[in-house]
Parts: sequence; structure tokens; C-alpha cells
Amino acid sequence: MQVRFKILRQGPTTHPQVETYTLDVDPSSTILDCLNRIKWELDGTLAFRKNCRNTICGSCAMRINGRSALACKENVKNELFRLHPIVGNKPPDNSSQSDLEKSPEITVAPMGNMPVIKDLVVDMHSFWENLEAVDPYVSTAGREVPEREFLQTPEERSRLNQSGNCILCGACYSECNAREVDSSFVGPHALAKAYRMVADSRDQQTKARLEKYNQGTQGVWGCTRCSYCNAVCPMGVAPLDQISKIKEKILDRKNAQDSRSIRHRKVLIELVKKGGWIDERRFGLQVVGNSFRDLKGLLSLSPLGIRMIARGKFPLRFEPSEGTATVRSLIESVQSLDPAQQVEDTTSDTPEPVGG
Amino acid sequence: MPSSTLKYAYFPGCVAQGACRELYQSTQALAQALGIELIELKKASCCGSGTFKEDSQLLEDTVNARNIALAEELNLPLLTHCSTCQGVIGRVDERLKDRQESNPAYIQQVNDLLKKEGCSPYRGTTEVRHLLWALVGDYGLETLAQQVVHKLAGLKCAAFYGCYLLRVQAHIPFDDPYDPQSMEKVFRAVGATPVYYRGRTQCCGWPLSSYATEQAFTMAGMHIREAIAQGADCIVTPCPLCHLNLDSRQPEVEKVIGQKLNLPILHLSQLVALALGVNPQALGLNRHIVSTRPVLKKLEL
Repeated sequence: MQVRFKILRQGPTTHPQVETYTLDVDPSSTILDCLNRIKWELDGTLAFRKNCRNTICGSCAMRINGRSALACKENVKNELFRLHPIVGNKPPDNSSQSDLEKSPEITVAPMGNMPVIKDLVVDMHSFWENLEAVDPYVSTAGREVPEREFLQTPEERSRLNQSGNCILCGACYSECNAREVDSSFVGPHALAKAYRMVADSRDQQTKARLEKYNQGTQGVWGCTRCSYCNAVCPMGVAPLDQISKIKEKILDRKNAQDSRSIRHRKVLIELVKKGGWIDERRFGLQVVGNSFRDLKGLLSLSPLGIRMIARGKFPLRFEPSEGTATVRSLIESVQSLDPAQQVEDTTSDTPEPVGG
Repeated sequence: MPSSTLKYAYFPGCVAQGACRELYQSTQALAQALGIELIELKKASCCGSGTFKEDSQLLEDTVNARNIALAEELNLPLLTHCSTCQGVIGRVDERLKDRQESNPAYIQQVNDLLKKEGCSPYRGTTEVRHLLWALVGDYGLETLAQQVVHKLAGLKCAAFYGCYLLRVQAHIPFDDPYDPQSMEKVFRAVGATPVYYRGRTQCCGWPLSSYATEQAFTMAGMHIREAIAQGADCIVTPCPLCHLNLDSRQPEVEKVIGQKLNLPILHLSQLVALALGVNPQALGLNRHIVSTRPVLKKLEL
């Protein structure tokens, strides 16, 4: 079948331009197969990264039809299926159904959040530096092998499966909404790796690591929970879930006075215990104003409060849920469960390790 | 018209009962105008907006299993009108349905906790549905279009979906999470014109707004600016948390990005109800931080 590939091409100093290449392809061809044919048969100047062709090396991440993915993993058929209107959907006004069937198009663009070197090749310096910043190695003390190997039980090892499957392709980093506005944030790939270290029974730096990942917005609190990383990861690493697990460990060890980001979490649960729903007036007061201890924080909220009162938007009353007492008791039961007694929910979220 | 009256177990959520009461009002008005019956879950509680999970997965699962079980008792689908509530409760329902097969001991643990508090157990017999999906899938866009008494002709609407509606559940109905069209289809059904821009599937910045305001407001500002550049008269969102960051904080957003924006932000319920002839006052359109008057003027309301 004939497919038109619209590829965003650019150099470091030239403006991006879309170039269209038409290929006669088998629907089962991967996007990488197609790019190779374009390069070998139509235009040798097209630049893109590639290596293993088999979802192992992570070299060929790029934006395919609007989201970061591996070119060697996605194929023409699936991409065209995605472009097709989903059941019950009508095509947009400017294109009829037959248009879509006649000349299917696939768009390919470089990853985001990193500068383009040429065409689909991006400069991944910040990606690697941010990975390095979380100290992604099992701590040295743990690696000193006395008489025999440092053994792990299969259960201990299985906790590393999901984060260990990362192939460092950059898809999550490319779509990360927090990275786009915060150059200090290390990104989802680094924090997924950070959790891998925190969860490793051989690592002896857990406490220091958690302190480090708790700093400012470089670490876990820089994440805005946009879920792009979970959605695009080709390996099921679910970086956001790993970030949540690091937060869980930090929240276990810290109290509401440590920082506003921690207070945000603690106060939210306390308010649900008090009213079933969140009383937003108290939320602002307690999280940002730290219950009148943080006057600067309180002051920063006052324009918002005044605006809301002026527009009749400020909630003057709060009605607790009729289920408040039950919910409070339920939350307390969950929080007081002995971790050793808990049924671990690792089932289908934890794939077997891939490769080495 | 759907063959029988549509009926839902309505989960109002925190924000619609607090800082966005106009959403609560508008969803009620919309349901009334369309003849949809809403049974409010008065005993329900906050979904945790992603924060319970940071305390523990079990906390998020248990509290929301209780919320879902309240709808199951009524034999009704649970209706949300907040992207965040939808993503959180919808994902819990998806996970627990999966665990019924793959890890029954985990479900047992959740249900034991519920039983201890005298709550009904989670059975996995219902669905969690956002108002947007109820309009598109249950009510139907053609039927909706027939109910329109005031076509929103000429109004250019930029959708702002909210992360949790698109990317938290493993499967969502009707939409490709990277190129959703449901909101835009609703716009067309009520006679408005959709405006496409990159920000429509991105994060509004709300989760950062209590402690990393600069980042949160830069994010919001970027998207509002893009929507304006594409000619939008307003942004329309199915998420009240997005509404808070895009509307209530817009004056601060303007300061951070150093540019006047003044773009009205509407709730999905408000937009649809306007087309059904509901009075703007009854939809709380006078209670936004960014005035919605330009929108009403354009619509000659």
C-alpha cells in the first residue's frame, strides 16, 4: 500500500520543514523499516538514530503521529489504525472518510525537550546528565564482595523488574510536561532508575538517596503527574508509578513541616479524614499558609482569596460527606496495617526482566 | 433520544462543591435539560486526586473501591464530571477488575477492610464514566444536536482535556489519548467551532501550583497563549482542577509570563447547557475570575 511519510526535518540552525516521501509498503513494516527505505532508496541525507531493530537498544525513539515511540516497535498497520476515526467518530470537517483511506499519512518528528542536531537526531546530553545526577549505581559499600556473591532472593530481585526494564530510549523524557518548564527537574527516566536503586536490597544508601530525591523540584516533587511517561514508555516501566513509590518512602519518613510539597500530601489526607471531601479553604490555609506559620505563603494566597470573594466564587460553606466517619475509620485502618501483613499487589504491573 | 431515561450515580467531587460550585450547578442544570437522572452519592469521599497513591496504592484502591461500591449498590454507572476523579476512580476500577482474576487475595484484602467499616464490598459490576463520555456514548451527539435551542455559532472553543482523562486509565472509550476528539465533537454538536492547539492534551500545572508556582503558572500560560494564537474565544475543560489553574490563577499566570491573556475558561457543562437554553446566571458564568462576558456577548446572550 502507498503511504505518505511526512517527516519534520531540520538542522541546528535551520527552521524545521516538513518533507513528504511516498513509499509502497507492506502494512506489517515497522516505521524503522520505512525510514531505512526512505534513506536508502529516496534520500540519503535523512538522519535518524537506529541500531538493534528489535526494541532492545532504545536508539530509534522519535515522535510518530504525535507521541514519542520506538520506530522499530510501531508498524504501519497499527499507526494507520490509530489515525482512523474510532468507532462512531466522524472524520474532521476538512477530510472525508475516503480521503483518509486513499492516501494515509504518517507523521514523524524528533523527540521533544531536547535540541535537534539534524532531522530526527536530538542532542541527549541533558538526558544522560540527569540520569547521572541520581547516582544510578548500587552503592559502593554494597558492591564490596567479601567471600561470596551478594545474594538476593527472587522476591527481592522481582521488585527491580519493572524499573529495570528501562532501555533509556528517552520517550518519557521527550514528553515530560514538567521538564518543559523546569530545567532543574531530572526527569522520569532518572527517577525510575532512582527507584530501582532505592528498591535494591544490596544498596546501602537508601536514606541519603531519599534525602536527595526529596530536594526542591529537581527530584520527585518536580513531577506534575501528567502521566505522559507512563503512557508512552515502550517497555512498561511506568516511571510515574516509580516516582510515586519514592514519594511514599519519603512521606513515611517526613512530617508536614518539612516542606510545602510534603504538607500538600499530608494535609489532603487529614482533610479527607475530617470532612470526607476536601475543604479547600483549609487546604490553602494549611498547605500554603502552614496554618499561619508561613506569613509570606499566606500573603501569596491573599490576592486569590480576595479575587474569589469579589467574584462570589469563594466557598463560604463546606458540607462534609455523610460518609465522613466511615471514610476516616477506613483510612486509619489502611494506614495502621502492618506492612508485613499486607498482600503485595505486584501481579500484572511487574513484567519479567527483559535482556540483561 | 436514548430509549430509556439515563440514570447515573453522580460523584460530585471536592472542587465542584467548593471553589467551582458553578460546575455543580451547571451539571445539575445540564442533566435536567437533557432529562438525565442523577442520584448523588452523598456518602462518597474524595478520590485523593492522585495523592492517596503517594501514601500507598492500597489507600487509593480501598477508598475508591468504597466509592465504586456505593454506585454498585444502586446498580448504576458512576458518573464523574472531573478529569481527575475520572482518571483516579476509573483506573482503580480497571485495576481491581483485573485483580479479581490475577490477584484475588488483594481484592480480599480490600474487601476485608471495607467490611470492617460496614461498607459494601467491591464487586466490579459497574462502570466509571465521565460526563463527556456519557454525552458522546450514552446520550449521543446527534440527539444532543437535536436538543440545541441556541446554536453556539461562531464561538471558537479550545478544548483542555486534563491529563487524568486521557492517560491514566489503560483504556479509554472513543478517543486516542494522543489525539482525542470527543470534546471537539461536542463543540460541533452544539454549533461551536473547535480550535486545535498543542496544549489541549497537556498538563495545566495544577499539581505543582501549591509549591512550585513559577512552573505551574508557566505551564498554564503557555497553553492559554497557544489557544489565543489559534483564535480561541474561550477554553472549555471537563476538569475543575484545570479550571482552577487556568481561570482562578490566570492573573498570576499573566504576571509570570509577562503577558495579558484574559481568556475565559468554561466548564464543559456550562458550554453545553448554554446551547440548551439555560440562563447564563444559572450556570454561574458571572462567578469566574476571568470574565465570561466576551463569550456571552459573542453568543448574543
